[in-house]
Amino acid sequence: MWENFKSQFILNFVDDNRWHYLTDGLFITLEITVFAALLGLVLGFIIAVIRHNHEKTGKLKIANALCSLYLTIIRGTPVVVQLMIIYFVVFGSVRIDKVLVAVIAFGINSGAYQAEIFRSGIQSIPKGQYEAGRTLGFSYRQTMLTVIMPQALRSVVPTLLNELIALLKETSVAGYIALGDLTKGGDIIRSRTYSAFMPLIAVALIYLTLVLIMESIVKRIERRLKKNER
Amino acid sequence: MKDNNAASNALISVQSLKKSFGDKDVLTDISVDVNKGDVVCVIGPSGSGKSTFLRCLNRLEEPTGGHIFFEGVDICDPKVDIDMHRRKMGMVFQQFNLFPHMTIMKNLTVAPIKLLSLSQEEAESYARELLSKVGLLDRAGDYPMQLSGGQQQRIAIVRALCMKPDVMLFDEPTSALDPEMVGEVLSVMKDLAHEKMTMVVVTHEMGFAREVANRIMFMDEGRFIEEAAPEEFFVSPKNERTRLFLSKVL
Repeated sequence: MWENFKSQFILNFVDDNRWHYLTDGLFITLEITVFAALLGLVLGFIIAVIRHNHEKTGKLKIANALCSLYLTIIRGTPVVVQLMIIYFVVFGSVRIDKVLVAVIAFGINSGAYQAEIFRSGIQSIPKGQYEAGRTLGFSYRQTMLTVIMPQALRSVVPTLLNELIALLKETSVAGYIALGDLTKGGDIIRSRTYSAFMPLIAVALIYLTLVLIMESIVKRIERRLKKNER
Repeated sequence: MKDNNAASNALISVQSLKKSFGDKDVLTDISVDVNKGDVVCVIGPSGSGKSTFLRCLNRLEEPTGGHIFFEGVDICDPKVDIDMHRRKMGMVFQQFNLFPHMTIMKNLTVAPIKLLSLSQEEAESYARELLSKVGLLDRAGDYPMQLSGGQQQRIAIVRALCMKPDVMLFDEPTSALDPEMVGEVLSVMKDLAHEKMTMVVVTHEMGFAREVANRIMFMDEGRFIEEAAPEEFFVSPKNERTRLFLSKVL
């Protein structure tokens, strides 16, 4: 039994330096996750501000309509379909780095969800805070920057980090555009060694470890925010 | 009917103000002048439109008709930069609405520094002066949540005063307070009235209205149906509905 385990381990990870598929894949997975999250953060923030501005002032009609359309489409279709459309249709005729494509696709996808997180954060601030800012003479913009956003962002951090965890797991479909991420790396090993157990369990354990680390960070931040709540 | 062309000498001149939410008329044709130094108390049953009237004065609610002249300018004109005029109209809310993420001192100085371009020292020294007047100088470094309701409302009054407004609007400032804290807030408002601050106060505090106001306006169903000096209003109200209301609350 032990001998069997050992020979399987050597076959799947040591021979031909196959562990490289996992480490290279892990690096790409993290790369996509981090940059897609940042792109999503920017998109989500801008969209949330446009939608809130429209709700409060009635301005930005067209921009708001575009945002609604974007949210409907992105949240109404599977991310893997979006990824393939962006790779095979949008960038179908140009040579472009696949990692960049994945960052764009997952970033656009995550942006839709982050927009809703930001928006609920802004909406969680009592309307009296907005009114107090405006009656002092602050403009809409000044009120958002000095009164609403500092409070909203603080309340939104844990939820945003949870979205990051979801994003990390979602990037596992990057293999659909033949990108060697962590999942794809495990799958390649499986196809070489004809043994599924070891590589796939290894992949699962790596994801699990990453998620557990991130969750412990979220918990720590939540505790700190609670302590600072006044 | 008032003369629509000339904005009178009043500090605030409201002319044929109307406000409806959807097809519900909340304010129907209100005209009233508030002069410098007036302490106007607006009273009336709940749902009569008192708060809406007050919130229209600085366009926190957008009027659906009529004009409001503030210091001679029609602030209902869409071309007017309302933010400039709001600086001169302090407002105090039922729910205090202090900024919970800022210390008391920051609450008081953030607007004067950003909007009146005061230096931090100037803003803070004025804030300290006002804080000591309301007896809360030692709380400058605290956060709002560390204060009682009555203390928070006194701070909210000071926050509005830090902008050196020409008029103060009070929207039921004591309605959210525990009874034992009402007095401390009313006494700050009383002091303010003695310093000749122009005030429009929506309130249920009949004692305060009687003692401090120089004009009482009684509102019902979206219009002012009686106005009088306090003595006359409370002793010999003319209108039947006023009498009915007073018999219930006094």
